[in-house]
Amino acid sequence: MNKANVIQELRALASEGMPDEPEVAAVVEQASPEGEEGAAPKKAAPPAPRKNGVLEVDYAGKGVHVDAQVKADQVVRAAQILDEAGMTLEAITGVDWINDKELEVVYDYSYTGGECFRVVVRARIPRDQANIPTISEVFPGANWHERETFDFFGIHFEGHPQLEYLLLPEDCDFHPLLKDFKGC
Amino acid sequence: MGSESIPSSIIQLSTVDKVLELGRANSLWPMTFGLACCAIEMMAAGASRFDLSRFGAEVFRPSPRQCDVMIVAGTISKKMFPAVKTLYDQMPEPKWVIAMGNCAISGGPFKFDGQYGIIEGADTFLPVDVYIPGCPPRPEALIEGILELEEKITGNRRWPRVESGLSQP
Amino acid sequence: MSSQALSQNKERFELNLGPQHPATHGVLRVKLLMDGEYVVDAEPVLGYIHRMHELMGENRTWAQYLPNMGRLDYLSALSYNLGYVELVEKMAGIEVPERAEYIRVITTEMNRISSHLLWFGAFVLDLGGFTPLLYAFDDREQILDLLEAVTGSRLTYCYFRFGGCYNDVEDDFLSGCLAFIKRLRARMPMYHNLVTKNVILRQRLEGVGPISAEMCRKYGATGPVLRGSGINYDVRKNEPYSVYPELDFDVPVYHEGDSMARYMVRMDEMDQCMRIIEQAIAKIPEGPVRAEKVPKMIKPEPGDYYHAVEAARGTFGIRAVSDGKNQAYRMKLRSPTFSNLSLYQEASKGMLLADALALMGSLDLVIPEIDR
Repeated sequence: MNKANVIQELRALASEGMPDEPEVAAVVEQASPEGEEGAAPKKAAPPAPRKNGVLEVDYAGKGVHVDAQVKADQVVRAAQILDEAGMTLEAITGVDWINDKELEVVYDYSYTGGECFRVVVRARIPRDQANIPTISEVFPGANWHERETFDFFGIHFEGHPQLEYLLLPEDCDFHPLLKDFKGC
Repeated sequence: MGSESIPSSIIQLSTVDKVLELGRANSLWPMTFGLACCAIEMMAAGASRFDLSRFGAEVFRPSPRQCDVMIVAGTISKKMFPAVKTLYDQMPEPKWVIAMGNCAISGGPFKFDGQYGIIEGADTFLPVDVYIPGCPPRPEALIEGILELEEKITGNRRWPRVESGLSQP
Repeated sequence: MSSQALSQNKERFELNLGPQHPATHGVLRVKLLMDGEYVVDAEPVLGYIHRMHELMGENRTWAQYLPNMGRLDYLSALSYNLGYVELVEKMAGIEVPERAEYIRVITTEMNRISSHLLWFGAFVLDLGGFTPLLYAFDDREQILDLLEAVTGSRLTYCYFRFGGCYNDVEDDFLSGCLAFIKRLRARMPMYHNLVTKNVILRQRLEGVGPISAEMCRKYGATGPVLRGSGINYDVRKNEPYSVYPELDFDVPVYHEGDSMARYMVRMDEMDQCMRIIEQAIAKIPEGPVRAEKVPKMIKPEPGDYYHAVEAARGTFGIRAVSDGKNQAYRMKLRSPTFSNLSLYQEASKGMLLADALALMGSLDLVIPEIDR
């Protein structure tokens, strides 16, 4: 499998729908003086929100090789790119960024065919309208991962064949890993 | 300890009752009800080294209709709770319950403020006869629990209790 | 094979397997739609032992979370301990002394053998053979004795700490491990002669429950399920961690993809574990077992981190999101059996019920790890 090809295709995907260069450069100058694709600043606080884009990160420090942030409606295309490259879906994680009023869905992909290559794809969605398309057409294994993320965060995966509670009781009505969940 | 009142029994035959109690105590048939980690120690207690068969209790029956004692081994989650209650109700009398492990006693390590998923102890909805603490308790502890239950049923302890010999402070 | 049976609707009925059932290895419920003796659709229902591990990850400090790792997959608890402490060491930049790394590998591999022995006993029990369970438990008790002397617990270990191990191992632990390996090596031919070459077992397992490599990839299945379908992927070789690069071992791979292949993968893995332990015992250096400067409060840089190890059942991964505090902001546990079981619905279509249970046993399920 061609790592560089994958990175290039993800870059192309992530940059679709991004604002034109001058605006990006202006925003980036305010945030941090790093590359035009958008980068998370290395300083601790206050971090500017990360722009969509692809970063090649340090595997020994972070555990992944490539970290891509895309828009919510691009996750299916990202999954298709990685599926064609022969990768497998390891996990789908939800994260509740209550201070930013956003939920983040993080997809972990890895390559099991030989050399070690891990890609993580993220997408942010607004907290009050938590909808994101399902990737279970591309990776059937995502069926259960998305149901679990729905259990814990209430994220609605559009097009999912069976979006019901998986780990919590069927008659449950709360989503426990949201940061404003107070117990029951 | 050891007296078992059977209020609905019209006929009380004292010596025959004693023989029946001895029979029940020495052949307790547990139900295979391992929920979580304690189930493995229950299996180990029934396996070759610790051998519950010496005490007549090796016949783990899957069906509640054929069991005397339900060993609740593991955490009872709120989703599982109706199943546990149903299984207990399906067991014919006389029946006993052993709560094995910290989770079955009080929720164990999974009891914390804001928890939403587990029942904090089997004794919130079942009449527990013997509590076996541990996380997980050793198979010897389960055997001790069975011996305690036998003592509860018959009034006599089959195996003399071995004191540790440590002097009291 | 069963298309004529499936077309007769009159024979269809719903059967509920579990959650209390001797063959489900925990509390798993499977909603079966049966057509006579054939499975039309098998839908696993989870959550009966959901113990809120991920919520506890957010409420506990990094160090307080260590005991939870032993309760996830209690049969190979040390692999989970290893994954978690290595993640925190990666985040906080803690170096582990070499002796501690070797001790970690030795104890983890002993634990892997005990997990596979229990799987072996329980799997053959599911198929109807009661006796191998007793023999397997006998061997397993020897391992548990050795590990109990070192770690203090028999099942839900919490032996590793950030920067090393809890305490050092004595020399008689190492010689005890070598004696055990010698004993198990002498007993393995008995297991193979009586069980593996048994004509009934072969007929129950050969050709039953084929899982292709493509299905494994689509569902994210790892571990012996993936290696039984022909893919040579083991996190210890492909993404090495700890001192595995210095140890020489093979990764057993079988290409048939049926239950017999997965069975053979695990049996051969036990042999490879014994090789690893022998080499590690030969190479273990003297030295400290804990790093000197381990911070009392671990406050990693904000961001998210991922670490994967090879547990007995597959790739165990943890994704930890940190916001700089002494607790995780989000602790996601990627359990291998979750992905392995997710292919059960598709893989068991049209099988006989007994074969469907053989397939489930060959996936090696531990339900508390799925439900977390």
